[in-house]
Amino acid sequence: MPTDTPSAASAPNPAAAFSNCTHCGFCLAACPTYQLSGDENNSPRGRLRLWSEEAAGRIPEDPWTDFYTAECIGCLACESACPANVPYGRLFEHTRQAHVEAGRFSPHPLLRLAAAAVRHPRLLNLALLPARILRWTGLPLHRLLFRGSPPVLQSTASYARALMERHRPTGPRVALLTGCLMEGLFREINAATVRVLIENNVQVFIPESQGCCGAFHEHTGLGNTASLHEANRRAFQPLDVDAVLSNSAGCGYALARSLAPDTPARDVLSFLGDLRPIQRARPSSNARLYVDLPCHLVHGQKEPGIPASVLDATGYQWELAPNARDCCGSGGVYNIQEPENARTILASKSAFLNTAQGDPVILGTSNHVCMMQWHSAATSGLVHRPYLVRHILQLLDPLSPSDT
Amino acid sequence: MPAPTSALLPRLHALVPRGRVFSSPAQLAGYASDALGYKSYTPDAVVLPADAEELAAFMQGARSLGVPVILRGAGTSLSGGPVAAQGGVVVHTSSLKAIRSISPDGFWCEVECGVPLNTLDAALKPHGLFYPPDPSSGPVCTLGGNVATNAGGAHCFRYGVTSNYVLGVEALLLDGSLHRFGGPAGGRGHWREDWKRFMIGSEGTLAAFTRFWLRLLPLPEKVWTFRATYPDLRSIEAAIHGLVAHSAYPAAIEMLDPRAVTIVENSPMAVGLPRDSFLLLTEIDGPAPLVDARVEPIAEILRSTGSNDVAFSDQDHLRQKLWKARKAAGGLLGQISPDFLVQDAVIPKRALADILQFLYDEADAASIPAVNLFHAGDGNLHPNFLFDSRKPGDLEKVELISARLMQRVLDAGGTLSGEHGIGNDKAAYMPLVFGPDSLRLQWAVPAAFNPAHQLNPLKVLTARRFTP
Ligand SMILES: Cc1cc2nc3c(=O)[nH]c(=O)nc-3n(C[C@H](O)[C@H](O)[C@H](O)COP(=O)(O)OP(=O)(O)OC[C@H]3O[C@@H](n4cnc5c(N)ncnc54)[C@H](O)[C@@H]3O)c2cc1C
Ligand code: SF4
Ligand code: SF4
Repeated sequence: MPTDTPSAASAPNPAAAFSNCTHCGFCLAACPTYQLSGDENNSPRGRLRLWSEEAAGRIPEDPWTDFYTAECIGCLACESACPANVPYGRLFEHTRQAHVEAGRFSPHPLLRLAAAAVRHPRLLNLALLPARILRWTGLPLHRLLFRGSPPVLQSTASYARALMERHRPTGPRVALLTGCLMEGLFREINAATVRVLIENNVQVFIPESQGCCGAFHEHTGLGNTASLHEANRRAFQPLDVDAVLSNSAGCGYALARSLAPDTPARDVLSFLGDLRPIQRARPSSNARLYVDLPCHLVHGQKEPGIPASVLDATGYQWELAPNARDCCGSGGVYNIQEPENARTILASKSAFLNTAQGDPVILGTSNHVCMMQWHSAATSGLVHRPYLVRHILQLLDPLSPSDT
Repeated sequence: MPAPTSALLPRLHALVPRGRVFSSPAQLAGYASDALGYKSYTPDAVVLPADAEELAAFMQGARSLGVPVILRGAGTSLSGGPVAAQGGVVVHTSSLKAIRSISPDGFWCEVECGVPLNTLDAALKPHGLFYPPDPSSGPVCTLGGNVATNAGGAHCFRYGVTSNYVLGVEALLLDGSLHRFGGPAGGRGHWREDWKRFMIGSEGTLAAFTRFWLRLLPLPEKVWTFRATYPDLRSIEAAIHGLVAHSAYPAAIEMLDPRAVTIVENSPMAVGLPRDSFLLLTEIDGPAPLVDARVEPIAEILRSTGSNDVAFSDQDHLRQKLWKARKAAGGLLGQISPDFLVQDAVIPKRALADILQFLYDEADAASIPAVNLFHAGDGNLHPNFLFDSRKPGDLEKVELISARLMQRVLDAGGTLSGEHGIGNDKAAYMPLVFGPDSLRLQWAVPAAFNPAHQLNPLKVLTARRFTP
């Protein structure tokens, strides 16, 4: 594991920040792990208390503190619920990293591997080539991986250059974060993003020197992200663009923090919302779109949601999925680290799909990790009828056939 | 002799075989305090019964444990209610969260004690019904906690507090007996007297409640919200009096003082109010033709008493905006102060200006910021004293001001608590308010239901100590 710059253990103790928690308990109602367990310690208020009591030396290091910290999904719903603006996410990341360094938390081996791999995007893209091919075939690779048709060889950057050359859009200038897993595995979503932007007269630039946003390392507590953030600042800041866009809510959240305050980073859907994107026509479609809102969009980036003008532009009859602002259990890496909890959370969120109206029923979201989680509701037997999982951008895509 | 923890644990496991028993320091830490986070009392153990049956089994066996038993809902109490002031076992009711039935025709529902208030309201809405008591902690506080504290809220000015809506209480005593005081039909149930009234507001000192039958009302057809600012205490007091006396009889009358308004305006939640103003919020609801006709008269009261800034709406999203400053203010206190202590005195409304001035003078003299946001219609003051519990002497200063304020409230004909309960935080003030005859009777009630004071000792009355 590469360790750049200061470790969590040596960083200043953030215990002072705990004290603006007033103990009001509002966050309990928002927290999926409290709702699941009914255990005060497994809530935001409980975890904050454990960390501050330990930092103040009032309780010893205790395996239960490790357990309750590991249980946190990192969904940040507690931040949205908190009237005192307690920066829970920051404190959680700090604690998780300290726990990894002290051997109190051990990320799943798959996540360790991935965290190392995403630091080398070119190698990763090569390594995932077979997976891209296999996604075309629909052969099961992993319970979380779903079928799709990613461009196998052409990178999104080169595709965007070709498309820009052909269509010569004249509108706002943006850069796009293509991401690690998004580019390595789910490249068709990146391609759709480029098409949608260019169709809407947006000029798209994709610097090849960009790298991982660091979200992965923040979720897992694996290593410091300073060098990753610095690399992306160097890649994006010199570009003369109106905004740097991300099409994955989790990556967008990490990117915005790494580029702030000099370069504005935005979610591509909220950016498109301002432009009133071109409408897709779905004559006489019986399909119904149910929209789920990624936690890192609404609780992390604090966006009110996905703009209605964008959802209207998909051409589908749409509505928000029940409890759309609640976590689906994916939590970045939670469905790999704590599969049982993640499945229980998904079970209650996905139950509506069994009886939802529409032919076909489409579950739309804007984060690839949430897409994997929603897909797993079928493979793990939670939803018994066919349904499609799509990124909203795929539903705006001029090249996508109707009802897919 | 209290059982040592090592002897206690196997017995707890035996009582709640399906539930959970906590005993390690990190498992007890979260249960050491309520919403008064700066006061900690670590329990010997915590149990989470798996369901209502297991809570019953636990209560049947708990007396022989020989340690205090403290019921806990969501732990949002502001008075040191659900904490182990004398050690013992905290019983967390979070698994008892079934809404057992809703009777849309009978206008009642049956709920378990751990149901969060807003969860109940969400379930009632599709039936066109609501449960009126609305403490601001609604998203998280439980009905068990609400009944045990006789919780109030903004709309209790017209609708009345929790006790007006409890039809029946199922209560488990530590002698192993199970009682149903009242029931879906309300009234006295199988009892000659209305003993459920003893249960409501008993703060966990008499019995563990497992479930309730609650009275419901049809959702009001229409709601109008008004917001007005005032330059001084005297004019807002006149406005409150005008509203209280008007036949429209508002559902809620809430007030923020200029210190609270300034906090809101200095925060990202600013709504553009003049910083040095007093803020009044009021609401009328009912059948559309009726309330629509009352909009102008209410606005006129607000204007004629001295506000030149009256805003009102019947549109949900605009009403939310009008409420925003009131809703934001409570949480913002946490952003500017490490700790706060909130008092809960009730005063005759006519004494408002006088008491508030006294409070400002006292707090200013001690250099302790005091901020007021409260249920003005009910005369239910919530002065928040902002302090830092890590700073030596701060807490003592706040407690001294509280005591002096309390005396002044009593002199004005007021009392100790409107809705938060006494807990252990206000227990020391009880003898200020109640004379020996009253205290003797208040002792007799727990002594009858809970003779050894094993349930929630050191609460309400400082000398209520568990002696096994
Ligand atoms: C931000 C904030 C705003 C608030 N606003 C209001 C308000 O507007 N109005 C108001 O009245 N209060 C308010 N409160 C105080 C608090 O929310 C109420 O007192 C609430 O009723 C407590 O409910 P709880 O579930 O959190 O109970 P807890 O805090 O867990 O317990 C409160 C008391 O109830 C007892 N108890 C709990 N469950 C049971 C049971 N099953 N059987 C027997 N006894 C039981 C406990 O022993 C304790 O004495 C507020 C608190 C906060 C933090
Ligand atoms: S991040 Fe999510 S799971 Fe973690 S404490 Fe906050 S609400 Fe709970
Ligand atoms: S909502 Fe915020 S202030 Fe309240 S208990 Fe949770 S973290 Fe603390």
